[in-house]
Amino acid sequence: MNAHIELFLQQVLNGLTIGMIYALIALGYTMVYGVLQLINFAHGEIFMVGAHLALLMIWVLTSFFAGVPFWLVILGVFLFAMAGASFLGAAIEKTAYKPLRGSPKLTALITSIGVSFFLQNAVMLLCGSREKTVPEVVPNLRFGLGAVSFSLVQLIIFLTSLGLMFFLTWFVKSTSLGRAMRATAENPEAALLMGISVNRVIRVTFMLGSALGAVAGALFAMYYGSINFHDGYLAGIKAFTAAVFGGIGSIPGAMLGGILLGLFEGLAAGYISSEWKDAFAFLLLGAVLIFKPSGLFGENLPEKV
Amino acid sequence: MRKPAGLLALFFLSVFLCGAAKKESTAVIGLAAPLTGDQAYIGLGVLQGAQMAVEEANIRGPVFGDTRLRLEGLDDQHNPTQAVLVANKLVANPDAVGVIGHFNSSCTKAASAIYHEARMVQITPASTNPEISRQGFDTFFRVCATDDVQAPAAAEFVWNKLGKRKIAILDDQTTYGKGIADEFQKRFKFLGGEVLLRNGITQGEKDFTPLLTKVKSIAPELIFYGGVYPELGLLIKQSRKLGLTAAWMGGDGIFDVTLIQIAGLEFSEGTYSTMLGIDPHELPSAKDFLTRYEARYGPIGSFSAYGYDATNVLIEAIRRAGKNDREAVLKEVRNTKDFQGILGPINFDEKGDAIGKSVGIFKIENGKFKFLEEMKP
Repeated sequence: MNAHIELFLQQVLNGLTIGMIYALIALGYTMVYGVLQLINFAHGEIFMVGAHLALLMIWVLTSFFAGVPFWLVILGVFLFAMAGASFLGAAIEKTAYKPLRGSPKLTALITSIGVSFFLQNAVMLLCGSREKTVPEVVPNLRFGLGAVSFSLVQLIIFLTSLGLMFFLTWFVKSTSLGRAMRATAENPEAALLMGISVNRVIRVTFMLGSALGAVAGALFAMYYGSINFHDGYLAGIKAFTAAVFGGIGSIPGAMLGGILLGLFEGLAAGYISSEWKDAFAFLLLGAVLIFKPSGLFGENLPEKV
Repeated sequence: MRKPAGLLALFFLSVFLCGAAKKESTAVIGLAAPLTGDQAYIGLGVLQGAQMAVEEANIRGPVFGDTRLRLEGLDDQHNPTQAVLVANKLVANPDAVGVIGHFNSSCTKAASAIYHEARMVQITPASTNPEISRQGFDTFFRVCATDDVQAPAAAEFVWNKLGKRKIAILDDQTTYGKGIADEFQKRFKFLGGEVLLRNGITQGEKDFTPLLTKVKSIAPELIFYGGVYPELGLLIKQSRKLGLTAAWMGGDGIFDVTLIQIAGLEFSEGTYSTMLGIDPHELPSAKDFLTRYEARYGPIGSFSAYGYDATNVLIEAIRRAGKNDREAVLKEVRNTKDFQGILGPINFDEKGDAIGKSVGIFKIENGKFKFLEEMKP
């Protein structure tokens, strides 16, 4: 294989890996926006809390249950992080957003920024401010062709993300709760008149979005092996960018937006300039907002945030 | 105004209490460093060193008259904006006589103008960027070597001892990181070396695989990194996973055991680092301090001894000045001659830089920074 093509394929793989993580986080932004028209800026912190829950579980499993096969550890880590984060998501919705239902949208938006600060500082006080190292649970295996290679962790990221995306698509399309979600997103008043418990739908949406964010956090922790209380900030902003890029409120839009953003950012950093990596991501956001404000899959909404 | 009498009484009471508290006066020394955030660990190490110096001085008695010293920690979060904010807060305190700090060059540089305007002496224990002392502020001093000493020493070592000829240079685009990388590049090119790639990353970023994939395709013999350990740990780890085998090297900012934890024991092996001065454990003059420090706080931070020395220089100057007057203290710091610090004698040149500070070369072996040799300026 030509060296240039090899290099390009490797860069594509690099970009896709982080893109999958962006996509999982972006789903949480887009789902909450779908039912509440709220940009939940605390969602990036849920991702960060998910990463810390994953670290806690990895630590518990590797110290008290040494010898457990690694896929069982990963499964346990995912379940624990998802459970913890959905509980947190539901709690935030109940304490911070529900009392503000019906107030101007900006109030809830500002509250979400406050929740974000609260979570960041809470984790800093609980876990300390030092960079925390995540023990390696996934065997350090590499697959590849020539100079192009990817690791087992990357494979797990691809499979888990794609699996969850299929599950979510099926859930929203084919279950009654999913139908209720779509109905609420379309018209909450009408949904309420049709006998849908809108409050329950909103709660489930928060829990589902938070669980996906937590999986992203767990994958992030396993892939990079070092986490910190402020990791949610940048990842959250990038995922938000991805959600807007794909069309906020659209589930396939968030998936594609995340993957494309990761890919674009990776290629730009690898081929143009790594100094401007973040700038490229936001440049993309700017371009989308100018030329197609509703995003790739979005309907044209006249509302402002 | 429903209870004017009560308010008035409270006012007089507070005036009285303030008057009472003033009887034994204090001279405040500021200690500015990142005390929260991802570099808090290293900032706290400096704070603890300074704290020991202040406590020891207070045990010996009042620094002059009936004045005792108090150390005030100022958290700049390694953010220059925050650094200016805390500097303004400190200079507004009439009891404040001087400041030890900041830690990061970007913060030290940003805040130095504030201290200069307030005529407050500033001694940095760790900021190595040479530009800071070239601003011409007579209030600025430092007790550590500068990057125009440190980075050329690193370049000489790579060229002469390691025999590497083609390298890549990365930095984190901060005042410190870019500065030290520039100085390294200048000397390495002067020696005849070839810099195949020069690129930057962003502090706080986690995914460096796009850049490292590019570095791998260029195949340098060594990669020099200008920056601090959290990012280098990830760079090393991700580079090894991509199959990049070139050795890594960095300056004093990477000198921290956390680097080995983040990169992983196996991947961090063979990484080179320069450090200001030699390992304090090799110095007889630092033995007593190290024992006391480690008994109290655990393993010593990379810059704790510098914090201790810098604070002692300032305390000595306050003692000689004999009054809580910033200009007088500043003059006495400038008059410092052959101050016996635990890391060696301290003298300042006309720019406020420490004279004759050497640089140590270290290599990570068996999960520890191993001292290789000392490079004299």
